[in-house]
Amino acid sequence: MANPSTAPLTTAKPRIVRVVPRNRNIEALLLIFAVGINAFEIAQIQLAALQQLTSEFMIYWAPVSFAALVLHLTLRRRASNADPLILPIAMLLNGLGISMIYRLDLATVANHGAQLFAGKQVIWTLLAMIIAGAVLVYVPNHLFLRRYVFIAMFVGIGLLLTPMLPFIGRNINGAQLWIGIGAFTFQPGELAKIALTIFFAGYLVNRRESLAAVGRKVLGVQLPRARELGPILTIWVASLAVLVFQHDLGTSLLYFGLFLVMIYVATGRAIYVGVGLGMFVTGALIAAKIMSYVSGRVDAWLNPFDQSNYDAVGGSYQLVQGIFGMAHGGVLGSGLGGGVPNLVPLAESDFIFASLGEEIGMVGLFAVLALYLLWVSRGLRIGYKHSDDFSRLLATGLSFVIALQVFIVIGGVTRVVPLTGLTTPLLAAGGSSLVSNWIIIALLLRISDSIRTKAKVAE
Amino acid sequence: MSELALLIVRIGFVAVLWIFVFSIISVIRADLFGQKVVGRAAKAAAPTVVSAPVVPAPPSARVQQTEPVGAIPSRLVITQGDRAGVELALTGKEILIGRAASCDLLVDDEYASSQHAKLIQMNNDWLIQDLNSTNGTFLAGNRVGTPAVVKLNTPVRVGKTVFELRA
Repeated sequence: MANPSTAPLTTAKPRIVRVVPRNRNIEALLLIFAVGINAFEIAQIQLAALQQLTSEFMIYWAPVSFAALVLHLTLRRRASNADPLILPIAMLLNGLGISMIYRLDLATVANHGAQLFAGKQVIWTLLAMIIAGAVLVYVPNHLFLRRYVFIAMFVGIGLLLTPMLPFIGRNINGAQLWIGIGAFTFQPGELAKIALTIFFAGYLVNRRESLAAVGRKVLGVQLPRARELGPILTIWVASLAVLVFQHDLGTSLLYFGLFLVMIYVATGRAIYVGVGLGMFVTGALIAAKIMSYVSGRVDAWLNPFDQSNYDAVGGSYQLVQGIFGMAHGGVLGSGLGGGVPNLVPLAESDFIFASLGEEIGMVGLFAVLALYLLWVSRGLRIGYKHSDDFSRLLATGLSFVIALQVFIVIGGVTRVVPLTGLTTPLLAAGGSSLVSNWIIIALLLRISDSIRTKAKVAE
Repeated sequence: MSELALLIVRIGFVAVLWIFVFSIISVIRADLFGQKVVGRAAKAAAPTVVSAPVVPAPPSARVQQTEPVGAIPSRLVITQGDRAGVELALTGKEILIGRAASCDLLVDDEYASSQHAKLIQMNNDWLIQDLNSTNGTFLAGNRVGTPAVVKLNTPVRVGKTVFELRA
């Protein structure tokens, strides 16, 4: 029997070609949502604290929202397949930070204080977003960074060391982490984390085979070869040097943790993490015995409610005030503008998370944590999906920096780990942190764009 | 503002924050599982893209099943799966089955490998050979290891698709 229906089976099935980058439309919707929430925050604060809306609303809302629009349009033109979720998440967090800082400023003004931060924060945010846009425009492909791996290393170490230079180095609140020219201060270590991530990624891509090679077996554990421990030792010494000379536990933990995670991702061998953590804990314990700065921090962490710790200079007063603040907020918080977060020292920078906790409550804090989690998970997914090893390591490293930093800061404020002087990404007042985090965002967006482009070519 | 209004605004803000979080999660969900839904919907909405109409299995198929076993198979009929009822003439020496666009028999589901199995003609028999597929090829319910002869009207399953050879 002649069969007329035999032909069509072999013809190609219809393929769905996506013409409009759907990503960017999702991003636009979510950005409008995020910017709307930011407007909500500022309005709520003004109504609660001033009982009326004033024209200051526009100062703290409009410029940043406009910058978000510009960045979105830049993405449409230059990286149309980039991840659609990172920018809205970042906008919401950054806007929440500005609102909270503005709220603390209002309290300062009410108490006739003079140190205001919100205006500076807006200017730094704009600058940081412009730099992020510039990264997207002038770095059409992140792979070129691989050529500058060793330059990145020198830049990173240089940035780490600059605060120790005479004249321009500044010691603020006991940590030697700033450089300053006149009234202008900057924390170069924040930028160093990007440079070092690039260096680690490039270095580990080249060395992963020899690092993964198996050495002697001791007690059923495959040890890496002795000579491969060289780089770990170097980074260990460097991070302990940061701890000893710059008095900052958080920064040293951040760099060492970053290195351990990247070496684990590159080689897939957990032994490096075990050995590394053991080394760091040993080093930190010795430092705690020798240096009063570290032991004081640990003591304030373990016994914050001890009267002698509470009263001591640099003791647990700040930590305890933050905890009282969060307790005052409770589950639902006192509402933006309804609490007294200004009682905590450094409420706008180190303790912004406690300030937020007082006003938006535990439910709100979990939403903020969820946003960080989503941001990091998107970053890790970008790394997972990419076919190129350097990009994989870079995206993983950049997102892990955020994750670790959030853990160290928020863990410090909530008494999970000893309190350290890192900044809460995008929320806390501080220009260097904003700039470096927006550069990380731009790099993640750039890397994510190259995944989808490649997938399209493969079709 | 009154106490009540403040309370509503306070809870409203936290609620809006969570709505934002969940809208992001819903985008991620759509990213993970939604592509397929979009694809199927588009397929259903675009019947004209297929170059020739798909004709359901002719009613005469049942009559042909009564033919003596041992007759030479001349066509392949899909009995189950997305494309049930479609037929393919057994021409040539080999028929490649899989998800890749280059296959002779396209099986478009996630349980099929890109080059899943192969039908090979030897003398007057057709043999099915599994091409090291992830989920296996099943001849009359048994997983195909070494190439096996496909008898007339015996179901062969590749992914979610089942086909038979008929005279």
